Amino acid sequence: MEKIKQNPIVKKIGINRIVLCGVLILMYAIFCMLSDKFAGIQRIMSALNYAYFLGFLSLGVTFVIATGGIDFSIGPVMFCSALISGYCLTSYGVPLVVSLIISILVGMLFGVFNGYLVAYWTVPPFIISMASMNIAKGLASVFTKTQSVSWPQSADANGWYRNFIKIGNFPVGLVIFIVFAVICSIILNQTKAGRYILSLGSNKEAVRLSGVNVKKWEMLAYVICGTLVGIAAIFFVAAYTTVQPGYGDTYNNEAIAGCVMGGTSMAGGLASISGTVIGVFVIALLQEGILALGFSKDYQLIITGIIVIVAVYADVATRRRKN
Amino acid sequence: MSKSGVNTPEEKKGSVFSRQGSQKLIVLLVVIFLFIFFSIFSANFRKYTTVLSIIDYSYYIALMAIGVTFPLITGGVDLSIGTGLICYSLAGGYLIIHCGWPTWAGMLVSILFGVLIGTLNGVLVSVMSLPPFLATLCTCMITRGLGSICSKNFGISWPTSGAEGSWFRNIFKITIGDTKYPLGLLWVMLLVLLMAFVLNHTKIGRYTIAIGSNKEATILSGINVRFYHIMAYVISGFFAGLAAIAYSAVFSTVQPGTGAGFELEAIGGAIIGGVSASGGAGSVGGSLLGVFVICLLKTGLPYIGLQANWQQIITGMVLIGAVMVDILKKKRAQTA
Amino acid sequence: MGDIILTMKDIDKSFPGVHALDHVNFEVRKGEVHALMGENGAGKSTLMKVLTGIYTKDSGSIVYEGKEVEFHTTREAQDAGVVIVHQELNMLGHLTVAQNIFIGREFKKGIGIDDKKMNEEAAKLFEKLHIDIDPAETMSNLTVGKQQMCEIAKAISHEAKVIIFDEPSAALTEAEIEELFKIIRDLRKQQIGIVYISHRMDEIKVITDRVTVMRDGTYVGTLITKDCTKDDIINMMVGRVIYEDPKTQSSVPKNAPVVLKVENLNAGRMVQDVSFELHKGEILGFSGLMGAGRTETARAIFGADPKTSGNIYINGQKVEINSPQDAVKCGIGYLSEDRKRFGIVVQKSVAENSTMAALENFVSGLFINKKSENKIAQEYVESLATKTPSVDQLVVNLSGGNQQKVVIAKWLIRNCDILIFDEPTRGIDVGAKNEIYKLMNRLAEEGKSIIMISSEMTEILRMSDRIVVMCEGKKTGEIGIEEASQETIMNMATREI
Repeated sequence: MEKIKQNPIVKKIGINRIVLCGVLILMYAIFCMLSDKFAGIQRIMSALNYAYFLGFLSLGVTFVIATGGIDFSIGPVMFCSALISGYCLTSYGVPLVVSLIISILVGMLFGVFNGYLVAYWTVPPFIISMASMNIAKGLASVFTKTQSVSWPQSADANGWYRNFIKIGNFPVGLVIFIVFAVICSIILNQTKAGRYILSLGSNKEAVRLSGVNVKKWEMLAYVICGTLVGIAAIFFVAAYTTVQPGYGDTYNNEAIAGCVMGGTSMAGGLASISGTVIGVFVIALLQEGILALGFSKDYQLIITGIIVIVAVYADVATRRRKN
Repeated sequence: MSKSGVNTPEEKKGSVFSRQGSQKLIVLLVVIFLFIFFSIFSANFRKYTTVLSIIDYSYYIALMAIGVTFPLITGGVDLSIGTGLICYSLAGGYLIIHCGWPTWAGMLVSILFGVLIGTLNGVLVSVMSLPPFLATLCTCMITRGLGSICSKNFGISWPTSGAEGSWFRNIFKITIGDTKYPLGLLWVMLLVLLMAFVLNHTKIGRYTIAIGSNKEATILSGINVRFYHIMAYVISGFFAGLAAIAYSAVFSTVQPGTGAGFELEAIGGAIIGGVSASGGAGSVGGSLLGVFVICLLKTGLPYIGLQANWQQIITGMVLIGAVMVDILKKKRAQTA
Repeated sequence: MGDIILTMKDIDKSFPGVHALDHVNFEVRKGEVHALMGENGAGKSTLMKVLTGIYTKDSGSIVYEGKEVEFHTTREAQDAGVVIVHQELNMLGHLTVAQNIFIGREFKKGIGIDDKKMNEEAAKLFEKLHIDIDPAETMSNLTVGKQQMCEIAKAISHEAKVIIFDEPSAALTEAEIEELFKIIRDLRKQQIGIVYISHRMDEIKVITDRVTVMRDGTYVGTLITKDCTKDDIINMMVGRVIYEDPKTQSSVPKNAPVVLKVENLNAGRMVQDVSFELHKGEILGFSGLMGAGRTETARAIFGADPKTSGNIYINGQKVEINSPQDAVKCGIGYLSEDRKRFGIVVQKSVAENSTMAALENFVSGLFINKKSENKIAQEYVESLATKTPSVDQLVVNLSGGNQQKVVIAKWLIRNCDILIFDEPTRGIDVGAKNEIYKLMNRLAEEGKSIIMISSEMTEILRMSDRIVVMCEGKKTGEIGIEEASQETIMNMATREI
């Protein structure tokens, strides 16, 4: 085992990401065996639909967790973005492009709000998350007068936005998602912002004493997260078109699960975008498999909860052993 | 401070009033102000039935708030109480309605379920050292799933008034003659007194405060911190169980998949009532007053023509405001 | 003085790389106040931690009340009557005084706690000690001095027979010290054995009966206080052979320009009215005992902690420094005494840590230019002779000395001309120490100006061109290296108040 761990290729990719890939393939195999209808493009496309928006949420929250913080308002904020922009589109006749921009802006604004309060006011992130979650739900409900919003169908005049997901059977969404993941990975690993975000997650005081404006960079992590949440909203409506106010919080845990499974540490300072991507695929496949086997969404909630507990405990236990 | 070593009771009371008391007093004034404000702007709000329904609304939030005060004081949080409440209520209700269990047995199951999840939270936080918000966020989702599974995804109505086994509804609202009385308020008050006693005059409460104040020093004092840390979450779970009963008694149907957001109302109430978001400080009575602020907003806003959903936004804002006040206070104490 | 109550004989204790206690002897009699003295790191605290069960001794014996004992936890020691009043307070701010005193052994009444009785008992305790504190007061509302008194009351409430005071007066005002002494005299009358650890020479003369001096983990000797002078004690404390040659004259030319001037700096209780100048190419030693306010001064200059007043001039220009960002812009670099907490990000690589303060120089377009980053990090690894397999190595895997070099590299890459070294060789082994010294000398020769805070007298005498001495937040002396000796510095550092 040690030998495998020391192998340069394995080291480069990371042992837990290899294991996670194995889990992904194994899960697919098991689902195919348990449900004869599982194999085939249809299920995969459906799982991918789920993976896109969840993936953007997960990418976003990876930045926040890298600072040692947390944001579990992302699900409701995504719904808030989709509802407000969708309502603008359907009820006020705002052009589609502008609506899409509004969606991203709403997410970004929540990011600014959360980030400012966490970084400059030192309000505990979980309090902000809780408050933002409700503000997002309330805002969306008030804005839409508690009506669900249906975005245009593919055949409609404004339906082209659904091409973000797929054209024919070609998964455009996958391409876009991977491109964004690569960009996120570059931001996290190749830019000043990413360097400071990771470093301050690991030891904020040392970074501050190096003369770095830690507040600015900490806030930026939340803003990046918010922006990605706004984009997630677009992919959500592109996949499912209908959004209902008052929901969205089940996605928080799934996004966080994807993130922590991929090797991002809740203690901050350690984050892996590629890990998050694989983690998201695992969660999306799990969701699809559970539905295919005839179980309800509720089992998914329970399993995701257990996954997060196990993944975070594994991280806590490793760090404890190292000390 | 007195000159002599021994204090007279009056002086002690005075010192309590000057600190913890001041915030409670302010919150009490806010409650009164809100009530008067809504009453002025809406004639309907002034009616006895409205007051009754506000009080009805407040039970489950108040019970949750009493419980969650304990994990908050340890410096943690319990996010599982909202969806937990629905889950416990569904489980108990299912047994009563579909399995023919007597009502008291269903109620007992609700409470025990709460204690069980509370214990789980406690173990995750105290023994496995998971961050409290994360551990309880997970149990929040788990209880949500469990609730739906327990009830086979259907809404459940506990025995309705007049039906067999509906006596439990009278615990909270009793009709004498033609008038309904909010009996539940009495129980909530008694529980507040009881838990205030537990917090201030028993080891459980004492060590809950000690853990939130300085966990390391508490361990050094030779105290079984692990046990008392778990107990804080058990108390929270137990009260979520009680809240489940109150919820079932006040509302006709319990829907699976709901309950998210209830925890904000309870935690928000507690923090408005003076519980510090960083632990150590807080009082059960304060939490109750904070809950009344939230309930008044929740029930009052529609009367002045605002959608009920404004309440969510305002609750969120008020919560952040309360925490910011707490932070400012601490900053000032540090520089002084 | 009564019979011997406690004897520690031949106590030996080693930590990896350090022989902390080398066959130390110590005894306490009933009804005496026994001072334990020595420089920082002499082993006083370690000895007391061995006694109270925080550390386990390697060899030697402890005889307490005629029986050989070994305490495994502080609790066991407490129960036997050996208690320590810690320097840093272990209090629970949200609880009341009485609740703090009786934490873990509350009086019960039915199912509840009998707070009334606890208050009464605490009041009795305070009455006995003639302390005026309300037992029902919340702990965090008390002054630090009063909190200290509560710790003492807590210690006494254990029915202690031996009480150890670890620098009890560090946080007290003069009036409070008077009160403390009254209490100690009372305790002495009650035949309690008292160990008193302090750096304040005048206190030692006033309150103690005997003085035991330790140096470098060894026992030097015990004196009867009234028969000895301050100089006797100082000689025992510093009288070691100096292995390294002290500097005999300043290597800074007389006309070297002033690069940093600090005027009337104030920041809390630990920095009061500090003024000094730093010349180009100079190593300015900051000497003093623990808690003298040197680190606090450095942090205030660097903007790490807020200052209340004072002016800072760099190259004659007045500058406003309100955050580390400002300080770094002015070309000041700070190397903290606690590297792991304030100096390095342990989970990041050598290269990443090296460029932490000057990252903008390595950004081309949007991206960090890792090639040039690695190149410069490699350059500094070579020029500072940092031992690391590569610049990609995580800093956590380096030794203390090499971690320190990474921090130095960080400030050199940022081109800082003024470097504040806070205990630069703490936790670094002897060989690496010399390297750090050489490096500092080289930097000074190259025209960098260095402030070196050090608690090691030999280090101060070996490295400094000029020495500023602090005591209790105030500057108490400034001498050139030509006139400096251990005795003169120690005299300034233990200035009578």
